[in-house]
Amino acid sequence: MSDSEITINNGPKGGDSENKEMVSLNPHAQVCLQQLLRVWLGFERDLSTVPLIRRIDLGTYTVEDHLCFLRNLRQQVIEGSRWIARTASSFDSEHSEIRSTIIQHAMDEHKDYELIEKDYIATGGSIEDIQDMSRNIGSEALHGFLMYRSSRPNPIDLLGAMWIIEGLGEKMATSWAERIQELTGLKDDSTRFMRYHGHNDGDHMQQFYDMLEEVCLTQESVELIVKTAKVVARLYRLQLEEIEYEIR
Amino acid sequence: MPVYITSTGCFLPGPPINCEQVENILGAVNGQASFLRVQIQKANRIETRHYAIDENQQTTHSNVEMATNAAEQCLDRAFVARENIGMLAVASTQGDHPAPGMASMVQAELELPSIEIISTHGICSSSTMALKAAWNSLRLDEHESALVVSSELASRLLKKQRYEAATESTFAEKKIDFNTEFLRWMLSDGAGALLLQNKPSPKGLSFRIDWMKGYSHAHAFPTCMSVGSSGRIGETKTWQDYDSYAEAEREGALLLRQDVRLLDNIVRMGVDGYLRLVEEGINKPSEVDHFLCHYSSHHFKNKILEMLEAAGVAIPQERWWTNLYTRGNTGAASMFIMIDEFVRSSDVEVKEGDRILCFVPESGRFNTTYFHLTAVSA
Repeated sequence: MSDSEITINNGPKGGDSENKEMVSLNPHAQVCLQQLLRVWLGFERDLSTVPLIRRIDLGTYTVEDHLCFLRNLRQQVIEGSRWIARTASSFDSEHSEIRSTIIQHAMDEHKDYELIEKDYIATGGSIEDIQDMSRNIGSEALHGFLMYRSSRPNPIDLLGAMWIIEGLGEKMATSWAERIQELTGLKDDSTRFMRYHGHNDGDHMQQFYDMLEEVCLTQESVELIVKTAKVVARLYRLQLEEIEYEIR
Repeated sequence: MPVYITSTGCFLPGPPINCEQVENILGAVNGQASFLRVQIQKANRIETRHYAIDENQQTTHSNVEMATNAAEQCLDRAFVARENIGMLAVASTQGDHPAPGMASMVQAELELPSIEIISTHGICSSSTMALKAAWNSLRLDEHESALVVSSELASRLLKKQRYEAATESTFAEKKIDFNTEFLRWMLSDGAGALLLQNKPSPKGLSFRIDWMKGYSHAHAFPTCMSVGSSGRIGETKTWQDYDSYAEAEREGALLLRQDVRLLDNIVRMGVDGYLRLVEEGINKPSEVDHFLCHYSSHHFKNKILEMLEAAGVAIPQERWWTNLYTRGNTGAASMFIMIDEFVRSSDVEVKEGDRILCFVPESGRFNTTYFHLTAVSA
């Protein structure tokens, strides 16, 4: 948030309020959205306790922190496009609409890790260092869980995973990128990955509502989607917490 | 044991002050008009507010006087003898004296003999803390009636002399120190009072307190609104750790600050608590007739509100009611001042059976409080 803008203007992710249509969700999808909002808000709050993220809040984040952050993010982003593609392929023809949406999504993001590599070099790191970095413990757990869930037939619960990971993309763009530059003196070319996600997530909210409306038709589906959102939120935080162990 | 709000009162010092006059009252720091005043006033949309200091920054009403005046008005409107008041709960961010508690001082002014008192300390949500303590006492049958007062005299912290004395502070160093100046154009003075009884008033509407809930998130977030430290990154010293109060003042440790960057977390946590109460079946948004919120709705004109609409749990704008734009943001006093005007305002019809949800968030270190009232008659 810039100092000139006092009103509070971002949730996990958003559509364009100028052109917003009235969203009409079925009662199960509504309850699911209520619970997903709470999972997101709790996740976002708990991120503030992760040492690396707290340093962004407290103003003590350094260039070294940023290098470490990017090194740890790369693997997750590479794996990210894999579970999204896997999710798409696990939907049968009765879910062709959602399958199309997710395939497009996987297309949009499958080379994002190259942006991280460029950011890393611009921040003063070497390409060998970031490419040699293996998955941290949290990334292992997150990736393992997502590949397991996405391999199941019609994995509608992965909507919960998308909710968290997309929300985080928006948060990086709106809350972290500018602040990191301000604190470290780094330039735009060190935060391209973070900022890119904010621009890219423009109409994802409407797409998300459409998918939710399509697949969230029972109490059971609410529970599946919310549970996966909770697991992904917890494992994502673990991934960020593990960055600290590398610093130590 | 059901508990009812049976009377209300408020006190706003001096005349209403419009945006242009504000700097005449608080004073231009070092004789220079603020670069930020118009921008911040435009964003908060407060049109008029009141101050308990005059144009020479001299105090016209003490915090205790304002609290007492609001309490007197509340008691004058009540169908209860003063000697039947069993408890006095008083909330303020900062009383006239750091010690003793403000309730002692207000009790003395009101000349209420031998009552139980409680002073709650915090910022905006200290009012709900006081209300909850009183509500619980009546629920436990400890007393038949309790007076709850909240009062704020923020302008003493915001007058030009405070900033001029902070010669070695971030405020003195930076051309624009948004975090230190932000609240200067946000907060103002006033007091509100509520009378709680274990039976409804014999005449007119009373408001049964159905439930009160609070969720604090200080465990997760850094401090967002505070007085007592210099505001420098990494500084852990607080005001009494300096060798002299003069030194603390020079360093800016006595200035009121808001970490504006963290501020949106209070809206998010507010929504989280709201949804938690929905999930627990306590909060039923579709049944709420009036929503009184310490933050004005334009702070929520964002994606979160759209998502609450999509999720079917938003309260339509026409059910929101506030007097923030004309009475100002008076911190802990705001909600009681709001309730007092709401129950007697002609621009909103309040009927028996109406359900009212009240929300008081506090950005200090992210406390969110909620309570629910139902209008009843005897």
